[in-house]
Order: sequence, then C-alpha cells, then structure tokens
Amino acid sequence: MSVRLTDLQACFQGIVPTIVATCSRDGEPNVTFLSQVFLVDERHVALSNQFFNKTRRNLAENPFAAVEVYDARTLEGWRLSLRFLRSETSGPLFDAMALRIQVIASHTGMTGVFRLLAADVFEVLAVEPVAGFLLPPDPVVDAVPSLCEVPGPLTELRGLQTVSELIARAGDLDELLNGVLAALARVFRFEHSMILVPDETGRRLVTIASHGYGDAGIGAEVEIGEGLLGTVAQRRSLVRIAGVAGELRYGRAIRDRVSEVGERARLRAEIPLPGLADAEAQLALPLVAAGRLVGVLAVESRDPLSLDEWDEAFLQILAGQIAMAVDRMEAPDEETGEAATGRPATTAAAPPGRRHTFVYYRNDDCVFVDGEYLVRNVPGKILWKMLRRHHQEGRTEFTNRELRLDPSLGLPAYRDNLETRLILLRRRLEARCPDVRMVPVRRGRFALEVACPVELVEKDSA
Amino acid sequence: MISPELAQFLESGVSVLVGTRDARREPACMRGVGARVAANGAELTVFLPAATAATALANLADNGRIAVSFARARDHRSVQVKGRVLEVRDADGGDRERIERYRRDLVEALGVVGVSPRSTLRLAHWPARAVRLRVEALFAQTPGPGAGAPLAGSAEGAGP
Repeated sequence: MSVRLTDLQACFQGIVPTIVATCSRDGEPNVTFLSQVFLVDERHVALSNQFFNKTRRNLAENPFAAVEVYDARTLEGWRLSLRFLRSETSGPLFDAMALRIQVIASHTGMTGVFRLLAADVFEVLAVEPVAGFLLPPDPVVDAVPSLCEVPGPLTELRGLQTVSELIARAGDLDELLNGVLAALARVFRFEHSMILVPDETGRRLVTIASHGYGDAGIGAEVEIGEGLLGTVAQRRSLVRIAGVAGELRYGRAIRDRVSEVGERARLRAEIPLPGLADAEAQLALPLVAAGRLVGVLAVESRDPLSLDEWDEAFLQILAGQIAMAVDRMEAPDEETGEAATGRPATTAAAPPGRRHTFVYYRNDDCVFVDGEYLVRNVPGKILWKMLRRHHQEGRTEFTNRELRLDPSLGLPAYRDNLETRLILLRRRLEARCPDVRMVPVRRGRFALEVACPVELVEKDSA
Repeated sequence: MISPELAQFLESGVSVLVGTRDARREPACMRGVGARVAANGAELTVFLPAATAATALANLADNGRIAVSFARARDHRSVQVKGRVLEVRDADGGDRERIERYRRDLVEALGVVGVSPRSTLRLAHWPARAVRLRVEALFAQTPGPGAGAPLAGSAEGAGP
C-alpha cells in the first residue's frame, strides 16, 4: 500500500459522507452513502451497520466493497478497495462505534431505534487518491494563507503546566472550576466549555460552571443516559463528535422515516443540545476520581475540525486532574465549629421601593423569584432555610458545617456535594436576583446579603 | 418509471453516486455531475467527469450494469436507480449547460450544510462522459427502516 491509512485521519471524522458500493451474487451493483467509516488500524477499517439493508445482503454474498472517502479539510478524494472480514457485535470497536451512534440517537429521540447492529470489519486491499478529482487551486481565490498556527508541543506542555498550577492553587471549588475553564479558553482556545455535576438523586447532571455562554447555562439539567453529556456520564467514556449538525440531520432523516412507518410511539421528545445552537464539534469527558463520577467536562466549537485525537488525549490528562481536585474539595472541609453569630441584618443600598417575592413549593423543593424559576432540590431547600432564618432571626452568616448537620436538608452523611450545591445556588442568585447575594467570609463560612425587602411565600404545589 | 416529480428531484442539486462492478464482481464507486431523465422516465443519462471515470467506464464496457443513487444533503432524501447502459458518449454543449446548472445548484445545496462554494466548485466536472441507461428499478434509499424498499412505479416491484 503506497498511502498510509493513518495519514487519512481527516477522512474518517464522518464530516463528509462516504460512498460505498457493493455487488450482489448475480452481478447487480449497489451504491449508497454511509455515515461512518472507522479507522481500525493500518490495514483495517470498520463500517457501521445500523440496518439490515442491501449493502449487508450483498456482503453476505460477495465480500468485496469499494468506498470513496473525502478529506474534510481539502475535499480530496481517496478510493479504498475492501474485503469484508467479519461483523463484531461486542468488544472495544463495537462499543466505540455504538457509543457514537447512541449519542446521535439520544440527541434526536431515537434511542433504541437508531442503534448499531454490528461493526463490520474490512481488510483494506488498496488505497489510492482519486487523481483529477479536484480542479487545480485558483492562484488568487484559493491562495489565502492559512490563519491557524500549528501549536507545538512546547506550547502545549506550558499550557498543561499553567492549568496544573491553577488546579493546585485554587482555594475553593468555584475558583477551581471557573479557573480551569477560563484557562482552557486562554491557553488552548477552547472558547466554549462547561462542567456538570451529578445532582443528589444521581439521575441528572446539572451545569455548575461554564465559559463562553454567559450565565444562562448555569443550572441547566441533563438526564443521565440521554444526549451526549448524559451518555458520557452513564458510560463513563469519552465521546467526540465532529460535524454535529450533519450527524443530527442524519438522525432526523431516520426519525422521519420511522414516524412514517408507524413507529411514532417509540420516539420521545428531542433533547435540545446544551450550549451552542450551531456547534459543529463536541468533546465530552467523564470526570472520575477513585471510581466515582464527579462530573462531566464538555468542550464544543463551531469549527468541525477544531477537536481532534490530540485534544482528546490532552483533555483526558486534564480531566483526571480536575476530577481529583473536585473529589478533594467535595470532602467535608475543616471548620472551626463555632456557631454563626446572630449579627443584625445589614441591608445595603438598593433603589427605594424595590422588593422581591420568593415562592417555595414544598412538593418539589422548588424556589421561584418574582414568578421565575430559580433553583430546586437541595439548593432550593438551603436557600429557603437561610431566607427564613434571615427573616425571622436576622441571621446573616451561615457555616457549611451547620448546613451539613441540619437533618431537614437531607444531605447524605458521606460525599454530600454541599460545595457544588452552594456554588449552583450562588450562581443562580447572581443571574436571577443580584439583590440577594452569598458572599464567602472564609472557608466554610459565608454571609447572606439581602439588599432590599423580600417577601417569603410557601405553597404546597404550583 | 420515473415520475415527473421524481425527475425534478433527480435533476436538482443532489449528490449523484455511481456504482459499477468489474468482471469479477468487484465494485467501484464515484461521484457524478448531474443527470437528465428522458423517454418519459424510462431512461436516465448521468454525467461522469472524464478525469475520475476510467474505472467506471471500463466496468460499464465490460457488463453495462449500473446503480445511481441521488441524495439530498439537507434531509438525506435518497433514491437509487438500477439499470443497464444503452450508450456511452462524450458530453456535448447542451450537456455542458446542464452540468454547469447542476454545479450551481450543488453549491447552494451543499452550502446549506456548511460546504464552502469554493470547495464545491473545485470538483472536476469537464470534460465529461454521458452514460445513458435503461431504468430497471427504483428504490427508496433514505436512511432508516424503509431503506431499500422498491418505489411505487418501479418496473420490477420485487425487493432489491
């Protein structure tokens, strides 16, 4: 083989669809687009088999196949001659391909309908460029110099060092998470990123830190097992998708067909993509420390080619460090144990006449402020407790320790994730009601500052 | 065979995939640069860029068996035509107008899914060969459980 398969990485990202041709026993050719070609090794590729279609039936009769793949960057074409070897229905290759398909399926509400039946492994008999496939570049129009700098290993090593130091120095979890995301943007140009952590039920992930989305995304929830992030959390393995928009369109085409053939009942409501509406590439990694899922790190981009194998490897190293730091910081911190003092409430200057109404719904521990959703579950209970204490007793300072020991909050005795709940609550207040603030006093202690009169209303249900 | 509605789809800015096979039944594939329906839908002419068509033309000279799939980028609507080659000739001036119109339509269609006009316009398209075939069967190819089912109006009606 004159061309190395591994040099054709950009052809196997699934951005430009591949053509595959097969031939039946009686000599009838068949040609179609194929969503995925996986590079297995220097001599093998795998094609995704999602439906028992004509291509599959032909391969059972005649093992030869031809594919034409395209370099997503240059659009140069390559023709591969293949011979079918085997179908794998389990193992690492199958899992990697199935995970990718599961993600696409769950994005489009197609879980269980659009799934990998087999990873079909082929021996690559020949690889050749499609000579003359592209016209020569126009000396003027196509001569725009590439603007992307190629980052060298030294740059990346220094970047890794920067992020490591930041993780080591962070005084609290909030500083750690936001510092890491800001550094990813500054040093590595991952401009859109977020970190999600499991909620106390273990059924959902909740967004606790983000970069590049404003403050709107904090508190956004994803069911574990659904969508890219939920799938990554459930499977505890990394997923990278390039050409996200294309993949989703592909999912939707099948969805439409399934609906037409009367299987609508099997489809569920589509989950909106968290983050950029026009993301073209996404990478999500589980944050695992001591065998425990502590969160998910997600990075996305509008450039379909901006995330590659190198980013995967690099972010995996970082994810390990972040996970260990999160795990360490979530462990109950050493506090003085002294009771918070009943200092009178200080009402900082707020425009006269301004007031806020907080409503607490007992049935689902949900808090609304001025008619808008604020927060729920444990953070909701904590906020309500503090607002009542503030209202009834004039309390302004609270300690993590007293919250931990409060049986009405129902925090687990071990790994209570109180830090992450407090960060979420603080961020939601900043976004929705800046007149009520949680200000750290020192580690394990914070002040509740209420800048204008608040009315507290409790209801059984909405 | 090919209804007027389907003809409109086949002649629009859709990707044209061509499948052939050699005497040993080893398949080959390539991209075409447009198509034209004729003879009240009983015949189809597909245009192949001469630069990339050597293998396909050799295969067609050997056995005349051809499959052509048409796929729309924005929603993956796909149809496959199976047939036997009647004639292969050099594309002429009238064909060239068709090919140029196809390129403009393709630029627009692929632009919707994020392919730059420059990339699409760099695809080789001229000189071209015109391959005229007799349509023997039509199949729905849109990905999903119904893929591969024969389309209504297909001559054979049997499964692919």
